[in-house]
Amino acid sequence: METGRDVVLDALNHRQPSKVPVDFGGTSCSGMHCSVVAALRDHFGLEKRVVKIHEPFQMLGYIEEDLRQAMGVDATIAMPLSTMFGDDVAGDWKEWKTWWGQTVLIPSGMRVAATDDGGFVAYPQGDTLVPPCAKMPATGYFFDAVIRQEGFDEDELDPTDNTEEFTVLGESDLARIAAAAKAARDSGLAVVAGLPGTAFGDIAFVPGMSLKKPKGVRDVAEWYMSIAARPEFVHKVFDRQCEVAMENLKLLKARVGDNYDVVFVCGTDFGTQISTFCSLDALEELYLPYYGKINRWIHENTSWKTFKHSCGAIEPFIESLVGVGFDVLNPVQCSATGMDPRLLKDKYGSRLTFWGGGIDTQKTLPFGKPEEVRAQVLERCRIFNENGGFVFNAIHNVQAMTPTANMAALLDAITEFNTAGK
Amino acid sequence: MADLDQISEMLQKGKAKEVERLVGEALVEGLNVKEILEKGLIAGMGIIGEKFKNNQVYVPEVLIAARAMNKGMTILEPAMVKAGVEPLGTVVIGTVSGDLHDIGKNLVCMMFKGAGFKVVDLGTDVSPEKFAAAAKENRACLVGLSALLTTTMPAMKDCVDLLKTQGGVKVIIGGAPVTQAYADEIGANGYSPDAASAVELGKKLIGAA
Repeated sequence: METGRDVVLDALNHRQPSKVPVDFGGTSCSGMHCSVVAALRDHFGLEKRVVKIHEPFQMLGYIEEDLRQAMGVDATIAMPLSTMFGDDVAGDWKEWKTWWGQTVLIPSGMRVAATDDGGFVAYPQGDTLVPPCAKMPATGYFFDAVIRQEGFDEDELDPTDNTEEFTVLGESDLARIAAAAKAARDSGLAVVAGLPGTAFGDIAFVPGMSLKKPKGVRDVAEWYMSIAARPEFVHKVFDRQCEVAMENLKLLKARVGDNYDVVFVCGTDFGTQISTFCSLDALEELYLPYYGKINRWIHENTSWKTFKHSCGAIEPFIESLVGVGFDVLNPVQCSATGMDPRLLKDKYGSRLTFWGGGIDTQKTLPFGKPEEVRAQVLERCRIFNENGGFVFNAIHNVQAMTPTANMAALLDAITEFNTAGK
Repeated sequence: MADLDQISEMLQKGKAKEVERLVGEALVEGLNVKEILEKGLIAGMGIIGEKFKNNQVYVPEVLIAARAMNKGMTILEPAMVKAGVEPLGTVVIGTVSGDLHDIGKNLVCMMFKGAGFKVVDLGTDVSPEKFAAAAKENRACLVGLSALLTTTMPAMKDCVDLLKTQGGVKVIIGGAPVTQAYADEIGANGYSPDAASAVELGKKLIGAA
């Protein structure tokens, strides 16, 4: 019997799959807000369960097997070791009631405290003796980093301060990673895993939320300025990061083997709504050498496909990203300038798998009518699914409070597309 | 002799220390304060804004240029006060309730400053009441609202509704999920897709274009 993994592998290898492969929850950029996960469990009449938050930064709800089946999901995440805040996810879980009234499960080591202004803060590695690393505002549905930027002397900047979080994996971590990969493999779905330390300059990681006392350049704007003003410093950070990542790749390959199908290499966003975030020269000079090294090793030594996430209007960068060996692009933000689905498919479709692009999460899915959702899903499937190279996903995580009727329309439209003409 | 073109040039390159030095020298040499501001700093930021709009420079370059402008302004501001140089107007800017994202909002602040406006930056997670109070207190001609999240866009409408009751102030909105259609829907006076265009829009709305 054909498995979810089979259809995803067909797509990744640019063969026409028997159905549109679907991902919800395979990565931290293709998941669903916990409120949507709970609503969909109700929609499908599944057993009442408190939703587990495996990624609290974006409040992503873990999509359990029964919901995956109900939604027709074909890919799953290999559970990471810890959250963005450095909380271990392997231990017990505890309940936490959000301000919007939903009770969720969070790792038992995670510490959340209410603030005077009605919001919440979270602490790095659950340590309340150091300043909080993230904040959820009183009416917010997500956490955002608290910038803990210490003063620094421009002439004394030490790249090792920005690489404290990148370490070679120890035996116990490797054993847990291997067990998580095996558990994911046993699901029969395609397994997607995050690689440790290969996110070069991902702005979500720059503030060092998992660190108790981050040093170096941790302010978001300061980091962006470094790209233009301190390229040598950025290179030194990336050099060290890449060195550790290469070491870890070898260790991972030895322990995980073929239990991964797709590896999430880097989530650095290179696009805004209307343009790229930096010049093509900066991409080529600062980032591509590292991507190339990582992707080359993976392709020469494993069967894993490499996954690049970048929001925004990045069409001018796609040729370069394909050129350095990325197999998969996510989230394919079709609403951004130049990211026309037909153009992307025609130009890159034979060389790149589009993991996303299925529905606009800025407008259509949260604010549109169910018939508008249906129309867009059908159109995107028609364009992207031709000859494989497409895994359906919303354009980035499904946002909080997305109407359940729209999610139902989305899933129905995929079924309609799959059954049309059969 | 201090060269105002050089101030503009150094600003565009993000050379903060150079801009600071050159503005200082221009002041010592007794150059007209308004000319230093307009032909040096504002001219430089104007070029950066135009290049940003045309994808000739990007966020990192705008940030370092703005940092250089701020250095120059720190030196120039006391002299501006002394010489009675008035800003083009006052604009109150912030990210709406529930939203902590500020890169886009900060870029808009920098562009308005760089165009000669007085900017009151309210930061992030700003309530409609706080926007309204700040607009009143500072006699703002413009209020700029930013939102990155679909879940926080509705807070823009609350702000627009409240600010309308005060009258006299134009409200402009921006942020990744925001569109002209949404601005029209909630009754904002305008929408801008990028930071440089926000200044053009603001100037037009207050009749300073």
